[in-house]
Amino acid sequence: MSKSPLWLRLLAQISAGLVLAFLCLPILAVIPASFNQASFITLPPVAYSGRWYEAFISDPEWRQALFASLHVAVIATIVAVVTGTAAALGLHRLTGRSRGILTGLFLAPMIVPVIVTAVAVYRSALDVGLSGTPLGLGLAHALLALPFVVINVGIALRGVEENWLRAAAGLGAGPWRIFRTVTLPNIAPGIVGGAIFSFITSFDEVVVAVFLAGYANKTLPVKIWESIRLEFTPVVAVAATLMIVLAIVLFAVAQLLSKSGKKQPI
Amino acid sequence: MARRHIETLLLLAPAVIFLFLCFVVPLARLFSLAFTDEAGPFATFAILADSDVYRRVMVNTFLVALAVALITVVLAWPVAYILTKLKGFWFAFALYGVLFPFWISVLVRTFSWMILLERNGPLNRFLINLGITDKPLALLFNDTGVMIGMVHVLLPYAILPLYGAMLRIDQRLLMASDGLGAGLFDTFRRVYFPLCLPGLMGGATFVFLLSLGFFITPALLGGSNAITLSMLIASFINDRLAWSLAAAASLVLLVVVLALLAATAKVLPFGKGMYAK
Repeated sequence: MSKSPLWLRLLAQISAGLVLAFLCLPILAVIPASFNQASFITLPPVAYSGRWYEAFISDPEWRQALFASLHVAVIATIVAVVTGTAAALGLHRLTGRSRGILTGLFLAPMIVPVIVTAVAVYRSALDVGLSGTPLGLGLAHALLALPFVVINVGIALRGVEENWLRAAAGLGAGPWRIFRTVTLPNIAPGIVGGAIFSFITSFDEVVVAVFLAGYANKTLPVKIWESIRLEFTPVVAVAATLMIVLAIVLFAVAQLLSKSGKKQPI
Repeated sequence: MARRHIETLLLLAPAVIFLFLCFVVPLARLFSLAFTDEAGPFATFAILADSDVYRRVMVNTFLVALAVALITVVLAWPVAYILTKLKGFWFAFALYGVLFPFWISVLVRTFSWMILLERNGPLNRFLINLGITDKPLALLFNDTGVMIGMVHVLLPYAILPLYGAMLRIDQRLLMASDGLGAGLFDTFRRVYFPLCLPGLMGGATFVFLLSLGFFITPALLGGSNAITLSMLIASFINDRLAWSLAAAASLVLLVVVLALLAATAKVLPFGKGMYAK
């Protein structure tokens, strides 16, 4: 450790490299698979073409699934960010027992196995007529995204010093003005980080969506889920590639924001 | 001061009401279904406990989760260790390597493995070319496939807490051990490893708990040959409309998860390992 021999360091480096390759490389397999010329997936493809991208774009079902996903993700993000940011601000003012209990409640959707949440929400959504609607699925996804917003905004709030607030109050600013001019600019990176995380949580989510989406409102992951089990055509790889591209873009945005803001864990 | 209290309440109210209506109440309503069987309040649990099939599913779920937790911890070790040693570009490179998979949908990652593990897929062709096997191995639609996929998805959850624990180790302890004449192996066994243990246990528990409730990966990579508890719950509803059985199985799953969490709450670096550095 302090002066570990060369063979040990080499062993650690090589095995770490192999594990990292195992973590990252298999994910990329869908990208070449999506450029198949054949009507079934071969890897590496015998011949390359973009025909499955055309098939994806010209198929109304896939297009509709993409829009349904975006629609649901926007609802989920708005609900999670609004309720989660307010909750983090409220939690920040609490101390002791009530803070512990409420934190537990806000993080609970992360701890309860998703299959359990999915089944419970599905049952209640059926009873109140929200099953199969974008609103129902959006609310369910907001549930899963809420903990990430509370955590992200909560961490950002720790960077806001009490003294700044007192100084602002001493200079005659009211509570709303203090929030708008001192607190909000400082927690903005946390809110945006939470929003990005909420969006990707909803956009990627399958388990709840498989139950709640219904026929008319299939999201992209639900359509992929069904297609994998029915057919194994490269058009599924196209959809999966699109999801990877979107995730990478959002990941990059979040990283840039965290660099420009303070230290933001992702 | 009263005004401040009202403000705090108003800030907390939307999330509390939302969680109550959309999470707590649905869970309570679902679990109440488990006790509504005509044969008596605990009849559904008796059905789950008496059936050979269901018992096998539960044992299988438990064993797969255990194996996945063990494998991830072993694989996490070199990566966590190397993260504490690397600096600058290579550190960022390795850290992004761990965090990047987090951002990719579990469904997409599972689908990738389906392509790779296929009977005539790249991995089997590679193994045949190497001469390791002369006919394709069955890597898909069995426990092997499930474990490969789950290890892949859950590995970052094991790496981050372990890395956190390794980072907190005071290097002077290792030097002291070295200076007192302990060899490399003894220093590892008696100083380094015990200090890593909280992170190791935290990561393993986290992976184990997540494995117990995993649905997508076992459903696609295991199929009907490797049924897990979550797949059983889904099939109770989709194939049989047996809500009371689904409710009972869900309750069992949740209680096991919560009990394990409570038992390991002291060891588990909650929040810290995942979200702080």
